[in-house]
Amino acid sequence: MSSQPHGAAFGELGNVSPDAVAASLGRGDGGFGRAQETYFDHPVLHKAHWGWQIVGYFFVGGAAAGSAALATIADGSGDARDHALVRNGRYAALAGAGVSGVLLIADLGRPERFLSMLRILKLKSPMSVGVYAFSAFSATAGLAALEQARADGAISRNPLGWIPKGPRVAVHALAAALMASYTGVLLSATAIPVWYRGRRHLPAIFALSAASTACALQNGLLALGAGSPATSRKLELIETVAGIAEAVLLLDYERAAGAPGKALFGGTRGRRLKRATLGLGIAVPALMALPGVFGRHANRADRLRALLTAACALTGGYVLRESVVHAGRDSADDPRAYLQHPT
Amino acid sequence: MRSETGFFTDVTLCIGCKACEVACKQWNQLPADGYTFSAESYDNTGRLSATTWRHVAFVEQADRTDPASSRWMMMSDVCKHCTNAGCMEACPTGAIVRNEFGDVYVQPDVCNGCGYCVPSCPFGVVAVEPKAGVAQKCTLCYDRQKDGMEPACAKACPTDAILFGPVDELRATAQRRVETLLAQGREARLYGVDGDETRETGPLNAFFLLPDRPEVFNLPPRPVLPSRFQPAAYSTGLLAASALALLGVAVFRGFREGA
Repeated sequence: MSSQPHGAAFGELGNVSPDAVAASLGRGDGGFGRAQETYFDHPVLHKAHWGWQIVGYFFVGGAAAGSAALATIADGSGDARDHALVRNGRYAALAGAGVSGVLLIADLGRPERFLSMLRILKLKSPMSVGVYAFSAFSATAGLAALEQARADGAISRNPLGWIPKGPRVAVHALAAALMASYTGVLLSATAIPVWYRGRRHLPAIFALSAASTACALQNGLLALGAGSPATSRKLELIETVAGIAEAVLLLDYERAAGAPGKALFGGTRGRRLKRATLGLGIAVPALMALPGVFGRHANRADRLRALLTAACALTGGYVLRESVVHAGRDSADDPRAYLQHPT
Repeated sequence: MRSETGFFTDVTLCIGCKACEVACKQWNQLPADGYTFSAESYDNTGRLSATTWRHVAFVEQADRTDPASSRWMMMSDVCKHCTNAGCMEACPTGAIVRNEFGDVYVQPDVCNGCGYCVPSCPFGVVAVEPKAGVAQKCTLCYDRQKDGMEPACAKACPTDAILFGPVDELRATAQRRVETLLAQGREARLYGVDGDETRETGPLNAFFLLPDRPEVFNLPPRPVLPSRFQPAAYSTGLLAASALALLGVAVFRGFREGA
């Protein structure tokens, strides 16, 4: 007979936290109150296991979708100076889609587990809709990259060039729009209070952050290569407008979320979110974009400043996703947030 | 058509013996959850989890000024097998189905462990088991039901606090029990039949008789059905994406060379 289980039992019994005993007895109402609001403050909800892989997927997928959108818009509405952006945007979209796929599979554990989501389409499930948006996005990003590789002379012939451009670009744009925003829907449509109370904010905040991080990423890439200052100015303008809208929505989210919003906006997480996302991610790039603050790719110092600005914006975008995903854990652990705010 | 099956769990009859917890673990071959001492009454299990599909909560209501009104309530919690199940709506693989007995069942060989059902359950029931990497919860002993047997927990319950059977028959039984208790001057209400709590999830195939407010047992008075939030969320996201597309086109057109 093994004595191990008993040993383990006494080991644990020896570790009773005095705080736990005090908490269960020291309620000032004779030990256990008649007016209990919860059961020993145990969580009512379970939390999602999602870690850095999913945070990374939200971030990379957003930046890839934004890059694809910028390349598509620059191709359709830009001029000859924007060619570098079109090229970088298309390649970044494909690379981002690849990294996103790897991150998703890293979360699931095995590649087949991704495929098992393609056996059915469920419009009721944002996870299912998102998987198809991601798949359509990846496929069309591949087509756009092939087209770009042919234009660059990297390949002599595009084997899929017979696919008409109109429908391809339309599907790509729609998939990019969904990719940028569905992650906000995915979180909002759960039973987690801090997330569902952001249903009128989170999807827009994620889409705006996808746009601003993509502008920052593309600006950084233009600074590395020989991008046109005219393109950089356009990107900075879009990034600033999107950033301001994102900041306004974030602050309004804090107001609308009420008490359950403390999981995201309270304490160290809230301070970090405001410093990194509002400060580093939005305010710093907006200030650097002010006319006359610094030149564009004129010299090494300007390039370095452009790269640092891009790094600030990307950090802000990552911290935003991380804060929102992690806030969901604390929100699930707070029974009062859910029991008292079921809308 | 055969009626759906379910559980009627009567808190006023439960004696807290945890035979249901043990029977469930044995039949479904669920591992122990570790030896922990919670210092919370006789409940060291805490809550439902991926490996605990029945959980007996011990609610102690002691009143030193009026000891006669003190009471001790044991509540055996379980998956509610909702009519509108948040987990089932969220599942992207179709692993979560309603089986021929009308119960919500996770097919372990189809589940890919994405974990989206977990925050989508309004009762905090389903959870991902880290070793297997799949979502797990009460199956309402699907395998036993297929062989015409009642679920292990109901079979093991010595006081019939857990009744298994066709849901419509269970509801009639429960209604009679409530009337008996009310006639005795005791507090009794059904949770999961037609109250506030069923507004979004619909009637629960596993419902409860409670002698106090639901939140005392960590049951949400108004559980949310997460898909309700989708219209607002999708329109918010697509509105922002459209506005961004217009902004992008306007900026690139406005600063076009020669424009």
